[in-house]
Amino acid sequence: MTTLFIDDREVTVEPGTSILEACRQHGVDVPYFCYHPELSVAANCRMCLVEVEGWNKPAASCCTPVSEGMKVRTQSEALRKDRAMIMEYLLIHHPLDCPVCDQGGDCKLQDYAVDYGPSKGRYTEPKRAVINYDLGPFVNTCMTRCIHCTRCVRFANEVAGTGDMGVLNRGDHMTIAGIVEDALESELSGNLPDICPVGALLDKPSHDVSRPWELTHHRSTCTQCPNGCDINIESRDERVIRIRPVEGSPEPWICDRGRYVYDAFRSPQRILEPKLRRGDAFEPASWDEAFARVVELTRGKRVGIVFSPCWSLEGLMSIRLMRDAVFPDAKVAFDLHRRDMRPFAFEEGFSMTTAQIEAADRVVVLGSDLRQRLPLLMQRLRKRVRNGRPVSRIGAMNYRTNVRLTQDALIRPRDWHAVIARAMEQVQELGKTAAGMDDWLARVEARHEAGKVLADALMADSCALVVGEEIRSHEDAAALVYGLDLLMRACGHAEPGRDGRNLVPEEMNAQMLSAVFGDVRTSARDLFAAAGAGELDALLLIGSDPVGDGLFPSAADAALRKVPLIQIGAIDGDVGRRAAVKLPAAAYAEIEGTFLNMEGRVRVASKPVKSLGQERPLWKVMMRLVQEMGGEPPVVSLDELRERLFAAMPAVREACASATCDACLVPVARNRVQVLPNTQPPAFPLDVVSRYSMYREGMWARASALLSEAGRIHALDDVIVHPDTLASLGLEAGPLTIESFLGKETFRVGTREDVSPGVIYIAKRGVAGHLSDVTSARLSGEAS
Amino acid sequence: MIPSDPKQVTQICFDRIRIPNQRRLEVARANGAYRFLPTVLNEFTPEKIIDEMKKSGLRGRGGAGFPTGLKWSFVPRDTGKPTYLLCNADEGEPGTFKDRDIMRYDPHLLIEGMIMAGFALNVRDAYIYIRGEFKREAEILNEAIREAYAANLLGENILGTGYTMHLTVHRGAGAYVCGEETALIESLEGKPGRPRYKPPFPAVEGFYRCPTVVNNVETLATVPAILEHGGDWHAAIGVQNSAGCKIFSVSGHVNKPGNYEVPMGTTLKTLIEEHCGGLRHGSVPKVVIPGGSSTPWLTAEHYEVPLTYDDMVKAGSMLGSGAIIVMDETTDVVAVTRRLSHFYAHESCGQCTPCREGTGWLERLMLKLEAGKATEQDLEVLSDAAEHMAGRTICALADGAAAPVLSMLKHFPDEVRARLVEKAA
Amino acid sequence: MSAVETPRFSQERLEEIQALVARYPGARSALLPVLHMAQEDFGYLSLDVQRHVAEVLGLTLIQVREVVTFYTMFREQPCGTYLMEVCTNASCMLNGADRLVRHMCDKLGIKVGETTPDGMFTVTEVECAGACGGAPVVQINNEYHENVDEAYIDRFIDEARGKGGKA
Ligand SMILES: Cc1cc2nc3c(=O)[nH]c(=O)nc-3n(C[C@H](O)[C@H](O)[C@H](O)COP(=O)(O)O)c2cc1C
Ligand code: SF4
Ligand code: FES
Repeated sequence: MTTLFIDDREVTVEPGTSILEACRQHGVDVPYFCYHPELSVAANCRMCLVEVEGWNKPAASCCTPVSEGMKVRTQSEALRKDRAMIMEYLLIHHPLDCPVCDQGGDCKLQDYAVDYGPSKGRYTEPKRAVINYDLGPFVNTCMTRCIHCTRCVRFANEVAGTGDMGVLNRGDHMTIAGIVEDALESELSGNLPDICPVGALLDKPSHDVSRPWELTHHRSTCTQCPNGCDINIESRDERVIRIRPVEGSPEPWICDRGRYVYDAFRSPQRILEPKLRRGDAFEPASWDEAFARVVELTRGKRVGIVFSPCWSLEGLMSIRLMRDAVFPDAKVAFDLHRRDMRPFAFEEGFSMTTAQIEAADRVVVLGSDLRQRLPLLMQRLRKRVRNGRPVSRIGAMNYRTNVRLTQDALIRPRDWHAVIARAMEQVQELGKTAAGMDDWLARVEARHEAGKVLADALMADSCALVVGEEIRSHEDAAALVYGLDLLMRACGHAEPGRDGRNLVPEEMNAQMLSAVFGDVRTSARDLFAAAGAGELDALLLIGSDPVGDGLFPSAADAALRKVPLIQIGAIDGDVGRRAAVKLPAAAYAEIEGTFLNMEGRVRVASKPVKSLGQERPLWKVMMRLVQEMGGEPPVVSLDELRERLFAAMPAVREACASATCDACLVPVARNRVQVLPNTQPPAFPLDVVSRYSMYREGMWARASALLSEAGRIHALDDVIVHPDTLASLGLEAGPLTIESFLGKETFRVGTREDVSPGVIYIAKRGVAGHLSDVTSARLSGEAS
Repeated sequence: MIPSDPKQVTQICFDRIRIPNQRRLEVARANGAYRFLPTVLNEFTPEKIIDEMKKSGLRGRGGAGFPTGLKWSFVPRDTGKPTYLLCNADEGEPGTFKDRDIMRYDPHLLIEGMIMAGFALNVRDAYIYIRGEFKREAEILNEAIREAYAANLLGENILGTGYTMHLTVHRGAGAYVCGEETALIESLEGKPGRPRYKPPFPAVEGFYRCPTVVNNVETLATVPAILEHGGDWHAAIGVQNSAGCKIFSVSGHVNKPGNYEVPMGTTLKTLIEEHCGGLRHGSVPKVVIPGGSSTPWLTAEHYEVPLTYDDMVKAGSMLGSGAIIVMDETTDVVAVTRRLSHFYAHESCGQCTPCREGTGWLERLMLKLEAGKATEQDLEVLSDAAEHMAGRTICALADGAAAPVLSMLKHFPDEVRARLVEKAA
Repeated sequence: MSAVETPRFSQERLEEIQALVARYPGARSALLPVLHMAQEDFGYLSLDVQRHVAEVLGLTLIQVREVVTFYTMFREQPCGTYLMEVCTNASCMLNGADRLVRHMCDKLGIKVGETTPDGMFTVTEVECAGACGGAPVVQINNEYHENVDEAYIDRFIDEARGKGGKA
């Protein structure tokens, strides 16, 4: 440790800390513009000057490391004059347009001008003119206000990894620029306005809407992906204006999906009052009328329940209580992406924190488009690669990551058995094995070289395995996960404290779902099949859209043609058109509640946004339903409900009780299973994978006009294959026929080099979206 | 023009420069080039070389005057990373044109110096970063390097000694700031030449984050003589703290402008009157910029100052790169300052606030002053803006930009005031 | 897409570039030399040329743009057959560079930074050329001309015109 004196106060910091960081750690204010704790040091603004005893000139504190016994002075007459001059230099070309600038009230330049600036600028010559650039659908530029701190460029290079921004020209002609013709392509672009200390980069959607001091802040949890970021919802007059990250959270950034989904809160797709179908239209109804209709449709009937995993833990618990009280025989489904419902050796959720993954010796990503699904984890992996640490990947598509991966193997989903088998062989050769591995191996004949990538990584001291959607939604997922579990155990990556098994869940609250619904859950596919076959009389749909999302749109569609739909939720979406009754339930920003992210962190939403209509917290709707159905509501207050939740999940109680709830992680379920591979070949020669898009997946995203617009900008072809796939069949890109168990249909097929040969990629929200049910198909030139 | 031969003085870098065709390897060799190289590679250890360099008292000739032997001794030896040697041939400081003569008339001297320095520092890859405008000089160097490779003076296993070094000439593309060593490194990495903050210093983390030594052409060209004759021999030339000879590039209002290598300690007056044939008009200069345009001005009062590092500081300036710009009494100091302010505004890399904004501001104020439109308050701003640039930035370009303005204000207050709007009207 | 053929390096050039890249610890280091080559081959560095260079060296377009716009020797616009760059920095100024520039511009009927309508001559001012002993200095297509006076310039321009516009 290094001891130094800041303004005569003795402080101790880690060796190598900069003076500025030492000051920040000890609550000493030093002004700065270019420094940002999450970015590399640029030391270009020169605002952070301090005096060091014995030095003949002031030092930039952000880039000067502390040394033993150093005497630092942060205030003096000379420094005051220096800072005033820096302000004067900066204001030379800065327009005096604070009254019309969105940043006003939240601007470092404005603040420091008050604290340090001269009373009056002495520059009277003309100001420079600057060109603006297209930084994508979410960022406005007003580059005349730029103070050249380069935070944005460093963010683009270091965090977003797009490398699409840079610094052109030199001297006072220097400008920050994007690529002229193309919009910035980044799923983190909404952070740019946040890190710009002045009003040069501005949030486009909230442009001109309000001033910072008019906003009310609400602390909540984003449920748009399993990362569950802390968010600060800013509203004015009960209207959500924007969503921003929360300082001091595990992640300093949030992604564009979580940020710009906010306009969905006011979308026409919101369910704000109970509604009843009359013919082809919906009419507002009272709660009493609506419940009466629900009772009519479900009392004494065979009911299937499908719900979204994104409700708060309290909401989810109330679904279970409702089911037990009213439909004790009902099967429930919540995962629209899992085909194989057998228990997994390690269930969905992470054994490691993302920080631990970033720090592991090796990281292997198996079959996941992390940049779209978990942009913040991807950002950490990018940081890792930049620091020279390896990240390997095996998967069906070379999903763009904006970073050069150490190893990258393209395979088909049907190859996973062979990949794992190859890895098993290699670790066994090195003397590592686990009970059961021989049996597993014996069932798989084929070997795939990509297994080497996996085996190599497993040999490291610590190895983080990130298992993605390609495996989770595989027909034989349980066997694959078991195989991976054997490998991890054989190589010592399964012991407590060194557990590297991470299975990316589709959505939030995975640990809770396997703990609380493990005994009653069924596969959504089976549930829809049962409804389609006339084995059910009604579907209760609580906040999800099985036709728009998930892997069973065709099965869901068939089911909804057969049975009446009761929809409870915050958004109706496309599927809402088919409902008989709609009941409003409050959205995630509108409730107090508890959530669990993929790491098992408990996230608390404490200060809700006010409701817009008649919507109620889900638990209240559930309890009312129990009552209407003639039952006794099992709980009557939120506290009672929480007691039931804690009883079912003691770990959540512990986490909630501990002061630093981040220290207490809710563990992932493990199952002692032995699932041997089923290597029967799929029915058709090509594998089908449906591609996730952060801008289009989920009811919330589709209800957001902002995200939908971004989705259009970033869309790929609806159906894509590798050029070799077509060449080997003697076909050319264009309209082709896809034959699957759903029959034959013609689509326009495009090509891309980064798709694995032998795989058909479909955009879930495109015209071929209903093919998501399919795992294999045949491609031909014949007309359908 | 080949540098003239100031009789009766010791010369090091220019010792053989007047030999016709010295740039050809066979001629250079016939006159002693590479004569001592095998001895160094076979019999000297890196420690001994660095020791001799320390003893020699040689200080870097690029401008900062940092002791060369000491700089070399800072290079860590056991990092597991390669060490790089970069020759700074950017020669951008206005008034400086000495390195160009070494490169075009005696390139093998530089190459030999680089091999010796490379051997001392365990360098495998060395580069000469030459300003882009010196295209012809780059061609001459490339030809000399080709000859040296053919004679196994460069490349694998040099002269069978087991030492391997590769040398590449790299052309800049028009940016004064790339002469600053960390900007030079950025530029050599294929980026805009924006200086890096220090620490880390290049000796520890430089080119591609590896240990790197950057030395000026003249510095490296001095190495062969030092190793052949010994550090003590070199230390005995010149004066205390300013050992050896120095090339002075003299330009401006002198009768015989050009490069003159003389022992350190020679006075300014001797150099100008005896070697350069005196001033064109008048007997004493109005202004002498002693070390390149970035150094503070001297006036007639310092005409007899000895050309040493210490005496220059005492006189209020710096020896810098040894580029002496002489101005006679006909000179309009406001116009010259305005021109230099334009230079710094044009060359600022743009990253540091005081330099990016300050250089442009100074230029616009100087234009105003030159045009007779400046006010008393403008003068105050001029001095304020200049003072607060110096020493507040990543590199010393801003100090250089401030120097002419502050010098003008300090030495010629009356001339400046006479140009103010009230007076001019 | 524009109708103009995208500029491409010749095979020999590509081989030269490959050999050049091998001399550095990283390919990006070859950017300045490769841009010099591109400017020689294609006259100036259009956005298409920059994109080609980025591709050849495996860089992003913005990395190339940053460098092209930073260094003064790289041109994004075409210039005359004879690019006449006059140093007007201190030493040359003290020796009449400003007068020389005025003379050149008057003779050619253009302003500094412009090209004659026949596309023959471009006149620019540059910073210290590093040849102050021979002030004033004019670089013409990268050749140094030292101790230049009005008569010298007149002779040069007349001779060049006599050659009918070929450098
Ligand atoms: C703005 C600026 C420009 C410089 N230009 C040059 C130059 O053109 N040539 C040079 O050798 N050193 C130049 N230097 C000095 C170098 O940074 C460095 O000190 C020198 O190359 C070290 O070599 P030496 O120790 O042999 O002198 C410049 C420094 C600054 C701040
Ligand atoms: S746009 Fe903003 S973040 Fe970027 S350099 Fe300018 S002031 Fe800094
Ligand atoms: S914060 Fe230190 S220079 Fe900007």
